[in-house]
Amino acid sequence: MTTPRNSAIQLDGVSVSVPDGTETLTILDRVDLSIAPGEVVMVTGASGSGKSTLLAVAALLRQPNTGTVSIDGVDTTGMKAKALARLRNQRLGIVFQSSNLFPSLTAVQQIELVAHIAGELDGEAKQRARQLLEAVGLSDRVDRLPSQLSGGERQRVGIARALMNDPAVLLADEPTASLDEARGRDVMSLLVDQARQRGMAVLVVTHSPDQVPGADRHLRLSLGRVDESRPADSL
Amino acid sequence: MFLALRDLRVARGRFALVGVVIGLVALLTTALSGLANGLVNDGISGLRGLPLTHLALQPGAQSSFSRSTLTDANLEPWQEAAANQPGLDVSPVGVSFFNAKRANGETLDIALFGVAPGSFLAPREDAQAALSGDAGLVLSDEFRSTGVKVGDELTIVGVDTKVPILGFTYAGSYGHVDIAFSSLQTWQSLVFGDNPKGRFSAIAVRSEDDTDAALAAIGKRAGTDVETKVAAYAGSPGYSAESATMTLIRGFLLVISALIVGAFFTVWTIQRSRQIGLLKALGASNAYVLRDALGQLAIVLVSAVVVGAAIALGLGALVPAAVPFSLEASPIITSVVTLVVLGMAGSLVAVRRITSVDPIVALSTEN
Repeated sequence: MTTPRNSAIQLDGVSVSVPDGTETLTILDRVDLSIAPGEVVMVTGASGSGKSTLLAVAALLRQPNTGTVSIDGVDTTGMKAKALARLRNQRLGIVFQSSNLFPSLTAVQQIELVAHIAGELDGEAKQRARQLLEAVGLSDRVDRLPSQLSGGERQRVGIARALMNDPAVLLADEPTASLDEARGRDVMSLLVDQARQRGMAVLVVTHSPDQVPGADRHLRLSLGRVDESRPADSL
Repeated sequence: MFLALRDLRVARGRFALVGVVIGLVALLTTALSGLANGLVNDGISGLRGLPLTHLALQPGAQSSFSRSTLTDANLEPWQEAAANQPGLDVSPVGVSFFNAKRANGETLDIALFGVAPGSFLAPREDAQAALSGDAGLVLSDEFRSTGVKVGDELTIVGVDTKVPILGFTYAGSYGHVDIAFSSLQTWQSLVFGDNPKGRFSAIAVRSEDDTDAALAAIGKRAGTDVETKVAAYAGSPGYSAESATMTLIRGFLLVISALIVGAFFTVWTIQRSRQIGLLKALGASNAYVLRDALGQLAIVLVSAVVVGAAIALGLGALVPAAVPFSLEASPIITSVVTLVVLGMAGSLVAVRRITSVDPIVALSTEN
């Protein structure tokens, strides 16, 4: 099933609930969200508001109890794990809170891995991996292991990895949480700039709204519901 | 195996450690195979070395020479068949265990094989000559280490008959007792005294073409049971019990090896659950993750097992001659392949864990 292509990612009436003793705890309550290509949306909210669950649902890592999630026009409802994995690999880029790099892979191999999973690690892909490292300012760190990189550098590698397969949607889960304020702002600017240059839809979950420069919209989650949706610069 | 190979390179200390454990199990298994084969060979090397393909024994003898007594009446149908069929040779053979005393009072255990003159069982001309003359013994080479020499006389205990040593041959042992050859007549006189009545233990058969069924038909006419040489090994004293014991020990070792590999792989999988989750979050399918993980294990397993078996082979060459140790290509390959297959089977416990890791763990904040 397909949905209109004017949304890179679209959530319709998404609800997630979990058993809580004899009762049911609602984490997301009929959330609607649509992000157009090139649009940057920031999501904030208190702890327990449902931010991480929203991101997990958008990243196809968690199935909602009700509602639909469409990525780049493809409705993911009822998809098998293998199809979801393929979609995640080819249409989604995820930047994690901790950089989540593989300890045994060098910076460039972290990025090449994404193409290898897709079965497309050829000379062109290897060249692209190096270009992405250059784009995030790490052309001199190509062969460094994660243990030989600073926190900010690791997060830049994470951003380059998320961009590798030229995804339609870039999802970021508090990508600057482990960095100091100045470094966090740099990393976030880099993420937004790179995504905008490539026309990707961006969903950033963060605690610090002032660290997402140039966000087009700001969603505030409260008790699983979208509390407000307004242009970020009106905050 | 993009990630697996790089993991092996970077975390080589960890993999070397488990490789050493698996290698030691392979070493132990292979060395034990060598000892088991050596022990079993030691029991049947004499029989195995004889140029026969089958044995005809008294019905119900269960491969045992000591339970079998045949006479010329049994031999005649076999001799007729041999006369009419090119490629079929038969020869009566007598087998008994004796204790022989040297002049200095020292005693020797002897598995005495009585062989008819001109028999194909003694193909060497010097052996034929020695056994067709006066009564005497041709001892296996192993007896040289006791200090006996050609010309010495041995007294067969029980019958108090003195027999000279005529020579030595490479005959090996039977039932862990070193073999000696005598003429069939000498053997009969030692066993039956003055009343041998043409009796002997079995008929050795050498057949180039005949099928087991054809030989069984001759055996039936002759009133004998026919067994292949390999089946007749079971009649060697202690052979079946030793084989069973060694097989059991090897089986235990292989099972323990599979458990070790399975336990390591399970712990390793638990430790890298987050990494597996991350791979899946990046879009890797279960098949991709399994290929990566099992490929990694296969590399560690095969390398460790091959190195362990090679070391066992090297150590085998250093084992003193007094210790029976025998390794051939076939049991080594069997051990190596079995260890690898059972090791991989042991790892299947962890496969379910790998497939059940939820990619959502990649979103947790723990590093």
